[in-house]
Amino acid sequence: MVFADLFFLYIFLPACLLFYFVGKNIKYKNAVLIVFSLVFYAWGEPAVVLLLILSTIVNWLLGLAIDKHREDKLGKLAVAGSLVYSLGMLVIFKYLGFIVENLNLILPIDIPVPNITLPIGISFYTFQIISYILDCYWDQVKVQKNYYKFLLFVSLFPQLIAGPIVRYSVIEQEIDNRKTTIADLSEGSCRFMIGLAKKVILANNLWSIVETFFGQDISALSVFGTWYTVVVYAMYVYFDFSGYSDMAIGLGRIFGFHFNENFNHPFICRNIAEFWQRWHISLGSFFRDYLLYVPIAGKRRKYLNLFLVWFSTGLWHGASWNYIIWGLYFGTFILIEQLVGKKRMKAIPTVVTHIYSKLIIIIGFGIFYFEDFSQLGNFFKNLIGANGNALSDTIAATSLVNNCFLIAASVLACFPVSQVVNKLVDKNSNTVAVGQALKVVYCLGLLVICTLLLVDATSNPFLYFRF
Amino acid sequence: MTEEEIYERLNEVFQDVFDDDTIEVDDLTTADDIDDWDSLEHINLIAAVEEEFGIKFKMGEVSTMKDVGEMVDIILSRI
Repeated sequence: MVFADLFFLYIFLPACLLFYFVGKNIKYKNAVLIVFSLVFYAWGEPAVVLLLILSTIVNWLLGLAIDKHREDKLGKLAVAGSLVYSLGMLVIFKYLGFIVENLNLILPIDIPVPNITLPIGISFYTFQIISYILDCYWDQVKVQKNYYKFLLFVSLFPQLIAGPIVRYSVIEQEIDNRKTTIADLSEGSCRFMIGLAKKVILANNLWSIVETFFGQDISALSVFGTWYTVVVYAMYVYFDFSGYSDMAIGLGRIFGFHFNENFNHPFICRNIAEFWQRWHISLGSFFRDYLLYVPIAGKRRKYLNLFLVWFSTGLWHGASWNYIIWGLYFGTFILIEQLVGKKRMKAIPTVVTHIYSKLIIIIGFGIFYFEDFSQLGNFFKNLIGANGNALSDTIAATSLVNNCFLIAASVLACFPVSQVVNKLVDKNSNTVAVGQALKVVYCLGLLVICTLLLVDATSNPFLYFRF
Repeated sequence: MTEEEIYERLNEVFQDVFDDDTIEVDDLTTADDIDDWDSLEHINLIAAVEEEFGIKFKMGEVSTMKDVGEMVDIILSRI
């Protein structure tokens, strides 16, 4: 099941809220969340829920073993066992086809390529489990002795299928002790509706543009058409993904959980390192904390660690070479910025750093989009007109004119507009009440528009089927 | 080695790694206090500290140490 769906919005979620708030006892509330989360996950693909449950049982037991045998070899063995299990699951369900394809290419063999359906959200929940196990081993969190509470942490439906990757330490206390205040309820609901609007009003419509131009052979697409579409695609991914994170964080708030932020207006960054501190923060911090410091011997350690992190970041996004190239592409620019040094980076005029970072990011989204290398090659040629393609074409120009309000709203929404408005409202105590009332009206308005658009939806893609 | 001596030697390592003679670390110094101390430079810092004191940090320690005080505690427990 997904959030931007009428069944979820008008049947599943209200039913869940009703059962959740009808009881006072935290055990009851947790049970409601577990049942609804498992139903949410099993919807459409009932078998994969068994894999999720198996993963929670195995890792819950290994967590207990780590706690009991912290000082001896068995503890280390349990950590290794958990990592082998988690990464093994990812390899089997996500990467096996890709590995076999590549083996067939380099070896004189012909192994049949297995066709395994990727269990949705496996990359997100597996990473949550890994972070729990390592935090237990590193003594950063207390082991969870109750299986159902561990299951709740892993399966919690707001963040289950499209993140953020929530650390156990973030909700450790709230599993046992949380309550939903009026502020949680109102801010959580508003946050959810803003996320929904990002997805349904902006992302879905931006996707229609992307499909029109990139959904076919692009070799004849004009220079302008290529730039226009890749910019639209960058905004599409941002609003789709950050919209999902907003919805997850908002839903979490409604149930009294306070997840960490996952996006912080990434496009206002001045360099690539900063972009990654603002984009998919929960993934970046995961790799920083659990992979960057893997002990590698030798003087080149820093570079090898950096390579490992960006190779993995790319690969995490999908089992295809273009994602790996995409990861290493960003790693390369981060390395270059590191070599230039922070002081010299700061000395570069802001206009220049903004142009540099936006160019790298936008071209990066082209690498992210095209899994097919001949299409990717055409994309690069198209950017500079090396394909013999025209500078501009009427179809792309007409598309820009027809979608000018959508594009303008999208560009505006990339800036921290709401923060500016909130600051203005909070400055004056007379306007606080008016501001709050307007916010409610605004959010309800968004919900109405989203509902109307979903009733009539022709484009409602799900971006995360490869994650 | 006393704690004082450790801080003295650590200070030199910090000044050397971050190429800044004005750095003075104490137990509460964190990555926020030193401009260039980011997650990547942390790797160089750890390598330099390991070499200076002839010790090895565990990966969990490298990932989770919150300030220089924690680093000194680990060094004290290893030498």
